[in-house]
Amino acid sequence: MQTMTHSIRQMFLALAGCAVATLLLESGGLASWAHHLELGPLRTVAVPVTERVERALRPLGMAALREEALESLARVGWSDDPALLAMVSAPSAMPNRSGCATEAAPAGLGSAAGALAKGASFPSPAQHNGFLNAAGAQAPLATGVPRVTVLAPLPPIEPGKQRVVALAGDSMMAVGLSATLMRQVAGNGHLRIVKTFRSGTGLARPEVFNWMDEYPAMLGAEKPEVVIVAIGANDAQGFVVDGKVLAFASDAWEKVYQQRVASYLAMVSAGGARVVWMGLPPMRIPVYDEKMATLNRICYTVVSQSPQAVWWNPTPFVGDEAGRYREYLTLANGRSMRIRAADGIHLSDEGAGLLTPVLLKWLDPPPPAVASAQTAPVASAPPAAPVARPKRHSKRAARG
Amino acid sequence: MLFPTVEYALFFLIVLAIAWSLYRFPLYHKSFLLLASYVFYGFWNWSYVPLLFGISLFSGLVAQRIQRSTDRKQRKRWLIGGATACLATLGYYKYTGFLLLNLLALWGRFAKPPAIPVDSPLLPLGVSFFVFHAISLLMDCYRGKVKEPVQLGDALLYVAFFPQLIAGPILRASRFLPQLAKSRDPNKVRVNRAFLLIVGGLFKKVVISNMLATRLVEPVFAVPQSYGGLDTLLAVYGYAAQIYCDFSGYTDIAMGCALLLGYRFPRNFNAPYTSTSPQEFWRRWHISLSTWLRDYLYFPLGGSRKGGARTAINLMITMLLGGLWHGAAWTFVAWGGLHGALLVIHRFWSRIGWTPLLRWRATIAWKWTARILLFHAVCAGWVFFRASSFEIAFSVFSRLATAGPATLAATPVCIVLFLGLAGQFAPTRWRNGLELEMGRWPALARGAALAVALTVIEILGPTGVAPFIYFQF
Repeated sequence: MQTMTHSIRQMFLALAGCAVATLLLESGGLASWAHHLELGPLRTVAVPVTERVERALRPLGMAALREEALESLARVGWSDDPALLAMVSAPSAMPNRSGCATEAAPAGLGSAAGALAKGASFPSPAQHNGFLNAAGAQAPLATGVPRVTVLAPLPPIEPGKQRVVALAGDSMMAVGLSATLMRQVAGNGHLRIVKTFRSGTGLARPEVFNWMDEYPAMLGAEKPEVVIVAIGANDAQGFVVDGKVLAFASDAWEKVYQQRVASYLAMVSAGGARVVWMGLPPMRIPVYDEKMATLNRICYTVVSQSPQAVWWNPTPFVGDEAGRYREYLTLANGRSMRIRAADGIHLSDEGAGLLTPVLLKWLDPPPPAVASAQTAPVASAPPAAPVARPKRHSKRAARG
Repeated sequence: MLFPTVEYALFFLIVLAIAWSLYRFPLYHKSFLLLASYVFYGFWNWSYVPLLFGISLFSGLVAQRIQRSTDRKQRKRWLIGGATACLATLGYYKYTGFLLLNLLALWGRFAKPPAIPVDSPLLPLGVSFFVFHAISLLMDCYRGKVKEPVQLGDALLYVAFFPQLIAGPILRASRFLPQLAKSRDPNKVRVNRAFLLIVGGLFKKVVISNMLATRLVEPVFAVPQSYGGLDTLLAVYGYAAQIYCDFSGYTDIAMGCALLLGYRFPRNFNAPYTSTSPQEFWRRWHISLSTWLRDYLYFPLGGSRKGGARTAINLMITMLLGGLWHGAAWTFVAWGGLHGALLVIHRFWSRIGWTPLLRWRATIAWKWTARILLFHAVCAGWVFFRASSFEIAFSVFSRLATAGPATLAATPVCIVLFLGLAGQFAPTRWRNGLELEMGRWPALARGAALAVALTVIEILGPTGVAPFIYFQF
C-alpha cells in the first residue's frame, strides 16, 4: 500500500527542488518583489541578490515568458492594472512610457510592475524634465498649513450636462470618503464620478505604483472638470533616487517629494480641471501624525502655487478643538458617532459624511431661488491666516 | 506578515529548517517555535506581544490550578475567574467603543449625553482567536479532557503557535497539547498533503478571493445605488465565494504549514455550500468556531435538553453571541440572529412527521431545493456581514429588485466566481488521488510542480496583497 507520509529528507529535497524551480521561473518576479520592499536591511540584501540572479537567468527567457503571460492575461481582461491594460490595448497611446526613466528602476524586471518602473516619469534632480517647472515644484516650503480654506465657486453646470468629478488618491480616498461621496451623488443627474484612486499607493514609490502612468490609464477618455485628491498616507518612507537612499523628511527627500507632488498636480489639473487637494487628517499615533504634518506642509506649498488648485484642510471637521486626532464626535443633537476607522488612520463613513456635504454643495450648488448667496465662497469655518500645526504636549494629552 | 508573501515564505522556510534540526530536543524545539511565533506576531506590532504572552501565561497558570485542585467548587471558581478575565480582555479591546456608543445612544433618549473623551483601544490582531484558545485550555482542564499536567511552555505555544495565531482554526487544548507532549516523527510528514493544502489555499486567497473582492464585491457594497439587480446579485454571490475562499484559504495554508512542521490541525471547512440544512451548514462552516460555541456555550446553557422553547432560546443566544464575536456592530448581531432563526425554524421543520413530507424530503429534488434555498438564506446573512451599516445592507436588498445590466460580469470575474462556488462540489477523492499520485514522483519533481503552481498563482493574482477578511476579527 502506498504511504501518505514521507521523511523530512524527502520534504527538504522537495523544497530544494521548489526553490530552484522558483528561481528559474520567478527570477523576474523576485527582483520586482525586492524593489517593492520598504527601505531597510531586507531590501538592502534582497535587491542586489535578486538582480544578480535575474541577470544570470535572463538568457533562459523565463522572465520574458512571464511578462508575455502577464500581457496575454491583460489582453483577455484578467489584469487589474489600468496602465498595463491600456498598454496592451493601445501601446502607442500610453503616456510617458518611453524615454524619461529616472528612478532607480530594477534592471530587467520581468513583471508588469517592473515594466512600469522602467517607464517611471517622475523627475529626479539629475534628469529633470519639464515637470520641474510645474507650479510649486521649487517653492520654499511653508511653515504651516491653513486651518480653514475657501472653495471658490465653480461655474454653474450647463443645462442638460453633467459635471465630471474625478476622485483621486490612495486609501485616504478609497476608504470612507469615496464611497460616502458616491452614495450621496447616486441619483444626482448633475454630477458624474470617475474613480481614479487605489489603496496602498502614493507618490513616494513610483517603482511600486506609478501614478504618472496609472492616472491617465484610469481616466481613459474622461475629461474631469473637478478632481478631488486625497493622497499621501503611505508616503512617510524613504526612497531611492539615482541609487541614493533619501531618508524621509531629509532636505533632499523633501525636494524630490515636492517635485513629485507638483508633477502629479500638473497631471491631474491638465485640461483645466479644478483640483481640491484634501490634506491628511490628524492621526492617532503621534509619531505618524508628525510625519503627516510634514507631508501636509509639502503638499500645501505646491498646491498653493497653482491657480487651479486649493488645499483643503479636513481638520476642522474631524479634529478636536486644538486640531488633534479624535475618534468620537458628539453632534449638537446629542448623537455620538465614531468618525475614524479602527486603524486610527482612515475616516469612517460617518467621519467622511462630515466632509461630503461641503464638497457636494460646492460641486452642485443649489439653484439661486433656493440659495440666494450661491456665488459666495463655500467655507467650513471663519477664514483664518495660515497657522502652524499645534504641537503635541504629550502622548497622553494627544489621546485625551 | 501575510501568508501569501515572499517574506512569509522566507520566514517559514527558516523556521521549518531550524525546528526540524531541533526535533530530537523537544524543549529546544518547542522553545524555538514559541520564539518564532512571537516574531511572527511582532511583525505586525511588537507592543502587543506582551498581551499575547500575558494571556497565554495567565491561562496556563490558571489551568494548572484547576488541574491541581481536587475541590469541585474551587475548580469552578478558578474556571469562572480565568474565563472572565480572558473575556474582559477581549471585551476591553474589541467592544469598548461599541459599548460606549450604545450607552450614549441610550443616554441621549433621556438627556444630552457627554462627549466621549477617550479613544477606544487599537484592536490587537487575532485577539478573538487567542482569547478563545485560552478559554479552551481552561475549559478542557476543568472538564478533565486534558489528561496530562499542563506544562507552562506547552500552554504558551498552544495559544501562540503561529500558523493558527491570527485567524485560527481554533484548536482544542485537549487535542493539541498531546501533540506537543510527543516528539516529532521525522519519517511521518504528510508532505504531499501539505503542499496541496498550501497551493489550494493560496489559489483560493490570491486568485479567487482577491479578484472577487476588488472587481465585484467592493464596488457594489460601497455604492449599491449605482448598480442594478444583476450586478447586485452577482456581488452577493461573489461575497459568498470570496469569504469562503478567503477564510478557508487561510486555514488551508495554516494546516499545510503545521503539517510540514509535524503538527495536525482540525479541518475547518468542508464544502459548506453543499449543505442542505442550517445544522449541516454549521457542521461544515468554520467548524472549529461552531464546535467551540457548541461545547463551551450552547451545551452549558442547556443545549437541547430542556424542551423546545428553551432549545430555541439557547440557539438564538449562541448565534447572537457568535455574531457579536465576529465584530462589534449590530450588523454582525443581525447576521448571527438570522442564522439562529434559521436553526430554530429548521429544528421545528425537521420534527414534522407527516408521511408525504417525509417521503418528499428523501428525494434528490428536495435536497437540491433545500441546498439552493439554504444557500440564498446564507447569502442574505452575508449581506449583513459585509455591509458597513444597515442602510447599505437594505440598499443592497432593494437593488436586487432593480432592473439593470450586469456591468461587472467580466469573463475572468465569472470564471473565478464559478470556481469559488462550484469548486466545493469537487469530490474529495480527486485530492486524495492527486496526493497518492504525487507520492510516486521523485521529491525534486514534486518540488518543481509546487514551484510551477506557485508561479501560476502569482501570475493570475491581482497586484498587491489584500489582508485576510478574518484578520479583523
